[in-house]
Amino acid sequence: MQTDTTMASPAERSRRIRSNRLLTWSRRLLRSKTGTVGFILVLAVLFLAAFADVLATHNPNEVNPALMLKPPAWLEGGSSQHLLGTDHLGRDIWSRMVYGSRISLLVGVTAVVFAGLIGVAVGIVAGFYGGWLDRVFMRLVDAFLSIPNILLALVILSVFGPGVWTLIFVLGVTNWVNYARLVRGEVLSMKEREFVKAARAIGVKNRMVMVRHLLPNVMSPFIVISTLSVATTIILEASLSFLGLGIQPPDISWGGILSDGRDYVATSWWLATFPGIAITLTVLGIIFLGDWLRDVLDPRGQNRR
Amino acid sequence: MASYIFKRLGEMIPVLLIISFIVFALVFVAGNPVALMLPEDASQEDIDQLTASLGLDQPFLVQYGKYLFHLVQGEFGESFRYNTSALPLVLERLPATLELAVAALVLAVTMAIPLGIWSATKQNSPVDLLAAGGSVIGKAMPNFWLGIMLILIFSVMLGWFPVSGRGTLGHLVLPALTLATGLAAEITRLLRSSMIEILNQDYIRTARSKGMREGMVVYKHAFRNSLIPLVTVVALQTSTVVGGTLITETVFSWPGLGQLLIQAVHTRDMAIVQACVFVIAVLVIFMNLVADVLYRLLDPRIKYE
Amino acid sequence: MKKDTLLSVSELKTYFFMESGAVPSVHGVSFEVKQGETVAIVGESGCGKSVTSLSIMGLVSSPGKIVGGDIRFHGQDLTTISEKEYRKLRGNDLSMIFQEPLTSLNPLFTIGSQLDEVILLHQQVTKEEARQKGIEMLKKVGIPRAEQVYRSYPHQLSGGMRQRVMIAMALACEPKLLIADEPTTALDVTIQAQILQLMRKLVKDNNTAIMLITHDLGVVAEMADTVIVMYAGQVVEQADVFTLFAAPAHPYTQGLLASTPKIQTIEEELQSIEGTVPTQETMPKGCRFFPRCPHASEQCVQNQPSLLKIGGGQLVRCWLFDAKEAASG
Repeated sequence: MQTDTTMASPAERSRRIRSNRLLTWSRRLLRSKTGTVGFILVLAVLFLAAFADVLATHNPNEVNPALMLKPPAWLEGGSSQHLLGTDHLGRDIWSRMVYGSRISLLVGVTAVVFAGLIGVAVGIVAGFYGGWLDRVFMRLVDAFLSIPNILLALVILSVFGPGVWTLIFVLGVTNWVNYARLVRGEVLSMKEREFVKAARAIGVKNRMVMVRHLLPNVMSPFIVISTLSVATTIILEASLSFLGLGIQPPDISWGGILSDGRDYVATSWWLATFPGIAITLTVLGIIFLGDWLRDVLDPRGQNRR
Repeated sequence: MASYIFKRLGEMIPVLLIISFIVFALVFVAGNPVALMLPEDASQEDIDQLTASLGLDQPFLVQYGKYLFHLVQGEFGESFRYNTSALPLVLERLPATLELAVAALVLAVTMAIPLGIWSATKQNSPVDLLAAGGSVIGKAMPNFWLGIMLILIFSVMLGWFPVSGRGTLGHLVLPALTLATGLAAEITRLLRSSMIEILNQDYIRTARSKGMREGMVVYKHAFRNSLIPLVTVVALQTSTVVGGTLITETVFSWPGLGQLLIQAVHTRDMAIVQACVFVIAVLVIFMNLVADVLYRLLDPRIKYE
Repeated sequence: MKKDTLLSVSELKTYFFMESGAVPSVHGVSFEVKQGETVAIVGESGCGKSVTSLSIMGLVSSPGKIVGGDIRFHGQDLTTISEKEYRKLRGNDLSMIFQEPLTSLNPLFTIGSQLDEVILLHQQVTKEEARQKGIEMLKKVGIPRAEQVYRSYPHQLSGGMRQRVMIAMALACEPKLLIADEPTTALDVTIQAQILQLMRKLVKDNNTAIMLITHDLGVVAEMADTVIVMYAGQVVEQADVFTLFAAPAHPYTQGLLASTPKIQTIEEELQSIEGTVPTQETMPKGCRFFPRCPHASEQCVQNQPSLLKIGGGQLVRCWLFDAKEAASG
């Protein structure tokens, strides 16, 4: 097997390694129970978001005063028309939940990508140039770490006012520090490696070497941190929407549905309960998936938090 | 010891400077607040006059200098909603927030310590698996939703605790529990893994070879050692706990900083927002300092510099 | 001097239950330690000597487990007594010193408190008396400025000092048997000699027996009365120290001796034993040493030899002697 791989051409070899990896990965996924659960949960949410138009039974914003606060279908007084009941304006909760999944995922993923871009850029610059720039950067990290994420988000929202894009910006800004620290650390250790010194000695551009060797090294922890970041970002988005500072009507978010339901918790428990379950399951799925990815990608576990 | 504390206090200054700069820059970008301060039918002349008298027509750096000058005197400007200086307003709310945060911390630690130790000494026992499951769900649940569910179950259905407000010990239970859950999950996880590592150390074997009861070995020799990472993680969670109080306060109408801040964000009362950010940042940095000092007291190997 | 049997281990089996299956770490080990005697157990790392000592202390931790045999200490079978009774013995009549003095002391407690701990556990004394006794023990093991060291933390002491503290702790309750697991391996050569000398002196004073676990034949020559050679979880040879060095019977013992430098035979080339200790997967069916043995025959491949008396109290597990025995008898 081993001699086999060394005999093959480089291209053939890398292809074989890759297909081999895919196989071991899927095998490992099935072996890890939580990984499988996470994978299924995430797939389910993606499915909801992708086919919201088909899955929704009603227009999610259709107000129907005649059907206010109807309980879920299986309870007394519920109707099969409204699977999860209706809210205080008679809107169908199932349909609102289905559409809400879109915002949660969209905001979560976009914000994390945004944070990743800022973080990687800052981390490379700080690690690469070092000196006073790096010192300023480390103080900046300290400053960001001493402001709770939600507080920073609130401050920015108080300045720019609520809105989807502001929200994505806000969530990105609260998250970039993690990436910047990771990349900076990797760049610093990279600079000390023999092959970088050697490459520099024969005149290869330092920057080129860094990019070529940095990216593969950072990729695994990057994916792991990103996955877990999506989970925390979804919670933060829901929190802000719950406070009325995140997603604004007519856009629908789980945090917003929860916020509507809060006032009726004494009489209509389902309003606040279902979106919370949806958020919890989604986050749980992402955490499980992230943990599994960490076990697979980063066996040293150096990025355990 | 004293010189170490002074050194650390000195390190706080650049961090606070950076925070002040970020906050100021945000407010500057937000634009002229004068329009919000004056009646809607105010003339352009009135606006210009007030702008000039507040120094808002001066260059960025000049304004920042003045801002800093006022800042060191504890002057964040006047809240236009309450028409009084912002800092006293914020400080007045601080005790309520601290009460909640401390109660949550104490509750979390008292839940997590026995659970973490038990999970570590009886790996893969039902308690261990239950604790692991509880931890991950505790992490996945949005704080505010847990709060609402607790209200639903313990206030609405069982009627054991008041729904909201502050006053008696009964008022404190549900918000503290809400806030403590996520924290307890984090601490349990950490304590379990550090205890497992410590119980495999040579000095634990030495303690056993002395004929000491296993319970004593665990509590005296192992637990003392795991206090060191425990203190670190609790300190790192301060930021999360304080962030959590902001939302939890809203859910339970707890009259603390969070309520004040979120109102201020809604009304764009920037003086209060700024004062809140500073008070919270100082609190978080201070807690990290306390943790560092505790760390040094717990571990004789670390010397004060 | 009395020569009653203090410890007798017979057919001890300690297995480790791993995911891949049970791994026999100690496989049918028998030997005796008499009062005041020093018995050395020698062998390469992984031969089961440390697990044997932990089994005697009752400190084999999961996934390891004693699955057979018995350990008689003062006639009492340690494999059947309760954990409470065991605790009364540990640190008291039965104590142990470990290989790593650097990590064997708890970093968060002072030397004094760790020393007092064992005294307070086993003796009816006040705290003050325990303190006096602790400082006295530190002086006994040759620690200068004992009062100061008593108040120190482990990280403030050198490795040699810490091992002296460990010895003080182990001897504080005047044990009948001291198990020393590679007590000098982690120390500098000059310190090694001091520690060994100290152990010999203290033990003579109290008529304490020592079970010395080591891979260093120099230490054996200096300390031991009786030597037990272990290989792959079994005893392969047992003899008094003079016989063993003069006439080693088992090819493994011969190999060990040949791989130790000696001043008298400096012109000879230093030998080494080819190969490594077999693992669970590569464990031979017959004699466990045959893959590395220069005298291996067909019989060694097929059948396991048993431990045989070859006169003068010498025991050996080898077909070479079995064959002679069979021929003569």
